[in-house]
Amino acid sequence: MIKLKQGFIYAFLTIVSIISIFPFFFMLVSATNKSIDVTRGSLLPGAHLIENIKSLLATVDIGQAMLNSGVIAIVTTVLSLVIASLAGYGFEIYQSKAKDIVFNILLLSMMIPFAVLMVPLFRMFGSISQVAPAIGIDTLPAAIIPTLTTAFLIFFFRQNTKLFPRALLEAGRIDGLSELGLFFRIYIPTMKTTYAAAAIITFMSSWNNYLWPLVILQSPENQTIPLLISNLGSSYSPDYGVIMLAIVIATLPTALIFFFLQKYFVAGMLGSVK
Amino acid sequence: MRRKTLLLLSFVAILFVTACSSSSTSNGKGLEELTVWAWDPSFNIKALEMAEEEYKAEHPDFKLNIIENAQDDIIQKLNTTLSSGSTKGLPNIVLIEDYRAKSFLEAYPGSFYELTDKFDTSDFIPYKIAATSIEDKNYAIPFDTGSTGLYVRTDLLEQAGYTVEDLQNIDWNQYIEIGKDVKEATGKKLITNNHNDLGILRIMMQSSGTWYTEEDGVTTNIANNEALKIAFKVYKDLVDEDLMNVHSDWSQQIQALNSGKVASIPIGNWITPSIKAEESQTGDWAVAPIPSLPGMEESVHASNLGGASWYVLNIEGKEEAVDFLTTTFSSNVDFYQELVSEVGAIGTYIPGTEGKAYKAKDDYFGGQAIYEDFTNWSKEIPEVNYGMNTYAIEDIIIVAMQKYLQGGDLDTILETAQEQAEKQIR
Repeated sequence: MIKLKQGFIYAFLTIVSIISIFPFFFMLVSATNKSIDVTRGSLLPGAHLIENIKSLLATVDIGQAMLNSGVIAIVTTVLSLVIASLAGYGFEIYQSKAKDIVFNILLLSMMIPFAVLMVPLFRMFGSISQVAPAIGIDTLPAAIIPTLTTAFLIFFFRQNTKLFPRALLEAGRIDGLSELGLFFRIYIPTMKTTYAAAAIITFMSSWNNYLWPLVILQSPENQTIPLLISNLGSSYSPDYGVIMLAIVIATLPTALIFFFLQKYFVAGMLGSVK
Repeated sequence: MRRKTLLLLSFVAILFVTACSSSSTSNGKGLEELTVWAWDPSFNIKALEMAEEEYKAEHPDFKLNIIENAQDDIIQKLNTTLSSGSTKGLPNIVLIEDYRAKSFLEAYPGSFYELTDKFDTSDFIPYKIAATSIEDKNYAIPFDTGSTGLYVRTDLLEQAGYTVEDLQNIDWNQYIEIGKDVKEATGKKLITNNHNDLGILRIMMQSSGTWYTEEDGVTTNIANNEALKIAFKVYKDLVDEDLMNVHSDWSQQIQALNSGKVASIPIGNWITPSIKAEESQTGDWAVAPIPSLPGMEESVHASNLGGASWYVLNIEGKEEAVDFLTTTFSSNVDFYQELVSEVGAIGTYIPGTEGKAYKAKDDYFGGQAIYEDFTNWSKEIPEVNYGMNTYAIEDIIIVAMQKYLQGGDLDTILETAQEQAEKQIR
């Protein structure tokens, strides 16, 4: 009876995993097929991979787009993590009466959809462009700055800091560490898993971010990967093989990062300090 | 640990600084450089690149900065930039679909540069001028036509005992009868369509010179729109007789055509490259004129679906932009020959369409001179005012069509739709 039940569970899990893996499989297979075979729904690998690579390289500068997305995602991730963890740490460790009010206001900001902020933000960057064109419209910093740190990330760090053993801080203070020293030398090393989880979340959302880069970035040399893929698909007669190949390339970095940090990610989600 | 963190931070700082410096160079825009927003690399973008080459012959320092985005993205960017009131970041020229153009012109008055008298409007096909003008003021240099035709599989028609000759001068009811025979003989459905994209209704309406709105472009025209009513009935007949294959997106539509699932499709000429992608069907296709609406005397065998035009933004560089557009898109006959033979873009510049390249015969379509046919049909397309709200109204019509297909009363449904549209659009 137990065996039967187990068999059933395995069968169910197999089916579900096939379903969840299928889009990924289709993407990989389609990258090797001609456009017409993709629309036919061919599920067998084709021999068109080289041609797809050639025509992808001929039509768009995917290297530049990867570089742009990479710079934006890395800078955003590192800065967001620094800011959010400092804020989360401060909110949890230090005492103040205004703390909870400020934090609630911060959480409320999660309710404002980005579409509402977009026009005012664009206006702001329009004015910035006149003073400091290096961080104005159509520059990578302009794509980065408004996305630095989210209320969610600060919340995430605060929640995880709740589990952080304060005795460690006391010990550090007794040994003569400054407040910043406590943060850098005790807090950061202990919270590695939290940082890893936050890094994956931020990197992915920054890598896939579409709306703001679309509006603020203009010239082709500043294009990010999601914009490039969207352009490829905009044609009256899109080459689906090439699009799939571009998507495969775009997926690689996030997939790699996830595989490397997976261990920490799961641990971070469960709570960093055991 | 601290050293590592510092190292990482300084690395990021360096990245940030390089990001600043690398992109600041692209900000200095000389007068010899114009920026254009357009979509579709194999069609519009290619046309722009060819125009740039053409213009460079006389202006060697000229540079066209072509920014390629999906059409929806261009709409998003244009809306954000124009409503922010900042002229920074706007292109000099933008490509806008004819159905949407008026909503931009009306919503952002003064943002687009008026082109009246900058070019000879009589050189262009009349329906296109109507689509790009507000009260006799022209705002765009017309580009491609969405002139429609009935793409049919001649081999499937033959199996049912028909030829392309039988498709000349027929109406939709007659075509449905032919469709029944084709289905009986071959098992293939007659057309493929997406219930959420009623381009076929737009084709039928414009073929009889009406639209969702009246001639002023504002007054909703649904409940008393005879052409729309007939179009609804034809649509339902196609569904009830099981002659319509239903697809849900563009790739499924292409797949239905390429795999031979359906015998025909009434659509704009820009579908040609997608149909020709299936090499094994060479010689099996032909293009017939669009059927007319039964019982509508005004209805002709020509209509339009899609098509776009070039708009000039009212910012620094507008005169240069006008000069670029008028020397290429509105005066150069040879340029239009290249456009049609290399890109397959059928223009609306009449002198251009009389050139040699438009007479070319296409073996894929059994030696038919399709460009010439499409051009001839495009001259007969009735002029309508697309107004500001084509897509907003169509969202209401899509729901109405669902109700009608489920067996509702047509008059009641259209009256409800009319009320809804009037409430929503003011």
